[in-house]
Formats: sequence, structure tokens, C-alpha cells
Amino acid sequence: MKMTFKTALLSTILAAGLAMPAFAQEVLKLPNMSYRTGPFAATGTPHMNGQRDYMTMLNERDGGIGGVRVAFDECETGYNTEKGVECYEKSKAEGALVTQPWSTGITLQVLPRTNVDAIPMYAPGYGFSAMQDGKTFKWAFNPPTSYWDGASMIMNAISDGDLANLKGKKVAFLHLDHPYGKEPLPLLEKLAADHGFELLPIPVGLSEMQNQSAQWLQIRRERPDFVVMWGWGAMNAGAITEAVKTRYPMDQFVSVWWGAHEPDLKLVGEEGKGYRALSWNFADPNAKLMQDVKKHVVDAGKSQLNQGAGEFESTPYQRGILMSVILAEAVKAAQEHAGTKMINREQLRWGLENVKLDEATLEELGATGMMAPFSMSCSNHTGHAGAWMVEWDGTKFNKVSDLLSADRAVIDPLVEKAAADYAAANQPWQMNEECTQ
Amino acid sequence: MFYRIAGQYKTSYGADYALFPIKQDAWLLALILVFAFVVFPLTASDFMFRALLIPVLIYALAALGLNILTGYAGQLSLGTGAFMGVGAYACYKLITIFPEMNIIGAIVLSGFFSAAAGVAFGLPSLRIKGFYLAIATLAAQFFLLWLFQKWAWLYNYNASGAIQVPNTQLFGVTITGAQAPVLAQYFFVLITVCILTAFAINITRGRIGRTWKAVRDMDIAAELVGINLMKAKLSAFFVSSYIVGIAGALFVFLWRGAAEADLFDIQLSFRVLFIAIIGGLGSILGNYLGALLIVALPVIIGTVPAAVGLPISSAMVEHLNTMIIGALIIGFLILEPHGLARLWALMREKLIIWPFPH
Repeated sequence: MKMTFKTALLSTILAAGLAMPAFAQEVLKLPNMSYRTGPFAATGTPHMNGQRDYMTMLNERDGGIGGVRVAFDECETGYNTEKGVECYEKSKAEGALVTQPWSTGITLQVLPRTNVDAIPMYAPGYGFSAMQDGKTFKWAFNPPTSYWDGASMIMNAISDGDLANLKGKKVAFLHLDHPYGKEPLPLLEKLAADHGFELLPIPVGLSEMQNQSAQWLQIRRERPDFVVMWGWGAMNAGAITEAVKTRYPMDQFVSVWWGAHEPDLKLVGEEGKGYRALSWNFADPNAKLMQDVKKHVVDAGKSQLNQGAGEFESTPYQRGILMSVILAEAVKAAQEHAGTKMINREQLRWGLENVKLDEATLEELGATGMMAPFSMSCSNHTGHAGAWMVEWDGTKFNKVSDLLSADRAVIDPLVEKAAADYAAANQPWQMNEECTQ
Repeated sequence: MFYRIAGQYKTSYGADYALFPIKQDAWLLALILVFAFVVFPLTASDFMFRALLIPVLIYALAALGLNILTGYAGQLSLGTGAFMGVGAYACYKLITIFPEMNIIGAIVLSGFFSAAAGVAFGLPSLRIKGFYLAIATLAAQFFLLWLFQKWAWLYNYNASGAIQVPNTQLFGVTITGAQAPVLAQYFFVLITVCILTAFAINITRGRIGRTWKAVRDMDIAAELVGINLMKAKLSAFFVSSYIVGIAGALFVFLWRGAAEADLFDIQLSFRVLFIAIIGGLGSILGNYLGALLIVALPVIIGTVPAAVGLPISSAMVEHLNTMIIGALIIGFLILEPHGLARLWALMREKLIIWPFPH
């Protein structure tokens, strides 16, 4: 019995291995590393649902992209970097066109590999800020905006557009003690030194996410003028409830886009009024794009989203949709340029470098106002779309600012240095020599 | 039938204590080595190497290190993850401070750093035993992890707080970093693991190993027959942490490619401890069996639904996986509390007398 089971197992694995290339001809493999399990599932799941539902919608409505169906396979990582290696190798062996690491930790691991294996890495709104430099990071993309852009926009917003206003003030930087949370520190340190405000980094360890009493005690003692949060998963909800408990003024509490997450705010409701987050997308359930998703995917019962909890209307779900929109636009661009429906990795890389999401395209997609227009190029792999401040009014987020933009003059030299350091540490490193912009 | 010992006479004590008292054991080992050195390299894919073979070898090595301490010398430790971290960070610092250094040299030396850390945190073992010692080593786990996070010098002030493995070469072949061909990495890990396993087998069978076992079985009696407890315990901590440190260096340099401090948290310690316990404490073979069960089986189970075409979401596969592995662990422990190695030993004994029951 044991033997027959083993033989059956082996033969199925073998058969699947043999059958794989046959399928590969008919679909565009755009897999995703998901995490619907583990401590970060709360923020992960709506994004995964959004990403998945847009691809499903394209398959249902248009028969895929350019007539070729999209295979949007998920590989569960649980935000665990160990699974990242496994998922990366698996999708590579299956002929994936792109890798979406979905964690700054996995990004760091996979980034050097993608440069050798020549696979585009798509890290929308996360990853390593220096990936902006397309000449160095030939295969990595982090549109529409990077963490350094985000940090700069937040500082611009809280200083009312002039960083000199922050002089002598104290800004606490409450962040996850993880590569992701530390990412904006170099920029914030530079800004603090240049403009004379005091930066107080407060790390939150992975084990302390749900109980941040020590961190908030420190905040109470130090009385910072602003708390800037770089949190993820269970940490955001923990911080928001602690802030309410310690009566920290909500209008001085600002988060990066992952903090624009309705379920976390619903925990505190009215008491969270005034809380702001920088978001590069704005939820609009009535947009044509969202209505199409609703019609073809959600109402057709093909979505995994939690309909009862208002997930469809939420910012993270719609952010996930937009992440897939950008990728799908890249595929479209690549198909047009290459003149073939079945593009390869190199062609997709060209497509990503030539994404042009201007107002007209957004209008055509039915996503006007959901995100800011941007475009990428071979030297600019981020695109630098602007973002808005959204404010919690007790029941929902409202746009409370004009489109903000990052301070390029400060960020670009930092990016250049970080990219050069990265390439130097990873010699021999393949640069994009063809890019002359 | 396969294990017939008829005709294998032992005419001396030496023959009775030989490494392979039965010829078939040697043949079996040779067969496994042929698979490891010839068959897998010829047939395996990148995925098999990176997701199955290399991690199984590295985890087995870490469990081997822990097994020397816990299984042979009887000192319970929960600091394995942190000691692996010491090896990894030491190797990283050595390679970045001395870029011209040979990777073998760096790995061999990095083991000494974790051995030193192991001995330092092993000092309480002279006074306390059992669970109390486990708590003392837990302190090592938390303290070292905190150090990895806060001491920026360790990760060269990297903005992400992570260490990134540079490309290094050995005899003209890239061994570590993204440029390294997976086959070279596999052979490097395999040879390192083979050498350390041979070393562990010999040391545990010899004088030192016997003093460890005496200490494990009853330390007062061991002291009465003239064993220096301090030397025995600290040497166990030294050898164990050395192997664990090398496993840590391999873990980051030959497999992961990058690591942040959180990688070496208590979960990793538990994982290695589970491998050692389920494989069998006080056995060398057990570490490999345990690593196969804990590291390789989830990967294999994860590929099954997709392979047979079941439409199950990947998150569900992950949940099922946790349940199946959990049930298997409980099942094996009920079936054989002394671990998989003991299970194999029983099977082997039965095979030797098979088909006659007596």
C-alpha cells in the first residue's frame, strides 16, 4: 500500500512536470506570492484579493490580455522569507513572466537572483527604494511610488509644504523592526539633519506588534509633535488602538499607505477621527473599473473577498486592483511592441519600462481619480506617481490634500548612492548599459 | 533477506565495534552517497536543489549540532537559532572585512565564533540542569537576536538592517551570491555536511563521546568515575555550537542569499529542536530523517494538489500542510517516542531476522 501510494505520488509529480510546458504556450503566467496566513494576513488578504480579482476580471470580460488568458497562480509565503525562496524557484521553473515577492525581506533575497535569472521583479508600492534607478536595477520595478517618495511626501504634508516649519520639532518614527520598516530611515535622517527637526525612531519588534504599550509609553513621555507610522499587518491596528487609549492627538498621527486600511480604523471608529495616511490610491467603488470587477467577478461568485465586511469598498482591496492594473498595462504595452501575444520575460521588462498611465488611459480604464497618472522609463523604474493624504472621519477615508509630490532633489542623490553601493556589494552586477536617458 | 548476516563472522572485539558491523549497512550508505553525489546532480532541477536538497542538508547539519549537545551530552538548548545567527553574521563580517579571504576559510572560522558564544552561554550548565538550563539558553536566544538587530556594525550599517551575501569564488567557480550555479552550491553544502557528519560520528563513538554519554546518563556517577564535568559539558557546547555555527553560515551564504535578524528567532531554534527530537535524540542518522520530515515533506505536499489538478487555493494548501505535518509528527511520536532513527533501528533488526521471527 505504502509503495503504491508513493509510486502514485511520484508519477503524478512526474506527469505534472511533463505536462507543464504544454500549458505554458496558452497562458500568460503572472504569479503572485501571497500571504493569506500568518500575522500579516490582515493586510495581505485584501491586497491579494484585489490583485487576483482584476486578473480574473480581465479573463472574464476580455478573455485575458490581448486575447491570452492570465494564469494568476498564488504561492503562499505567510510573509516568511524561507517560503520566498521556494516560491521563487517554483514560479521560475513553471515559466513565470514576473515575480512579485510581496515582502521587503523576500525582495532583498530575490533581487540579486532576478538580475541573474533575467526575470522582471514587480514590487508595487514596496521593496527597495533604490530600485528606482533602472540603470542599476535592470529587472526590478516598484511603481507607482517608493517608500522614500512616501516619506518625503509625508514630511512635506505635515510641514505644510515647507520643511523649515519643522525646525525644533520632534517627529517620532514608529516602525516595524524589519527591513521594510527601516527602509525610509536614511531619508528621514537626512531630512532631520538638513531641516533641524528631531527624529525619534521607535522600532516595534515582530513579537510586540499587538502590544505596543512600551512604545506608546515612550511616545507619551517624549510628546512628539508628530508620529509617522511605517507599520504592517497586526501592527497598524495595535498602534491605532494604543494611540486612542493614550489619547495621542489623532491629527498628529500619520501613516504610510499601508495604514490607509479601513478595518483597522473601524476598531476605534469615531475616536480615530483625524487620523491621516498617505495613500497613492483612493477607493472609489463607483468607478467604472470597480463596477466591472463587481459585475464580472464579485457578483459572479469568482472572488475570495469578504463581502459582508465591506472589503470591496476598502482602500487596500482597490489598491490591489490597481497593482494588477499597472502590471496588465505593462503586458499590453509589451504585446503591442513585440507584436506577439505570448510575450517573454525580456519583452515584459520592456513593457514595464514603458508603462504610460496618463489621464486618458486611466479614463479609458475607468479608474479616474483612483490613482495619480505616472509613467516609467528605462532609467526610472518607479514612476513617482503622486499621492494624497486621506483622513479618517469616523466611518471612511476622505481625500484632504491635493496631489502631493516627493522632493526629487533630496531623494535622487540618495538613490544614486544606494544603487551604486548595492551594485558594488554584489559584484559582478549586470547593469543596463543600453539605457542612455 | 536483504539483511542476511549469515557468513559475516566477527573474530575480534575490533570487528564487533566496527562502524559497519553488518556489510549491508555499508552498502546502503554507499547507495545513498551515490544518489547524493551522482544521481541527484544529474537529474534534479533548480527547484529541487533550492527548495529540497540544500535546505534538508543544512537543517540536518544544524540538528546534528544540537543533537551532540542535547542527545549525546544531555544539555537541553533553545539557543540554536541564535548560534546559527552568530555563524552567519561572523561569516558575513569576515567576508566583508577581508574580501580576498577564501570562503572555506571564512566558514571554518565563523564556526569558532559561534563555538565561543556557545561556550559562554553554556557556562550556566555547570550549575543548572534540564529545563532551567533550557531557560538559560533561551536568554542566549533573545540576547543574541537583540544584538543582531541593534548592533549596526554587524550588518555593515545597511539601511534595511539585512545582510546580503556577496559573490565569492572558489577555484574559479562562484560559490555564494546570486551568480553561483546551484550545482556548485549543492556540492559545497554536501561535502561540508559529509565531512562534519564523519567528524561527528567519530567523536561520538570515541572517548569524548563516551564521556558525554556518561554525563547525560548520570552526571554524579560520571564525576565519581573521574570525568571532569566542566570539560565534558563545555566541550559538548563547543563542538555543538561549532557545527551549528557552520550550519548557520551555510544557511545564509549557500541557500538564502540574504538575511535579516528576525530569521534567527526562536522559531528557528524550535524547528531545529523538533528535527532533532523527531529524528531521534542521540543519533546521527535521525537528524537526516527528521530534516526530511520537517523540511522536505511540506514542500512535497505543497506541490501535490497542483500536480494532480485539484483546485485548492495556495492558502488552503498551507493550512492543510500544517495539519498534515502536525498529525504526522504526533503519529510518529506515538508510534515511536525515540524518534525516526529508533524506528529505523527496529526495522533493521526485524529485517535481519526476517523471515524467521526468532
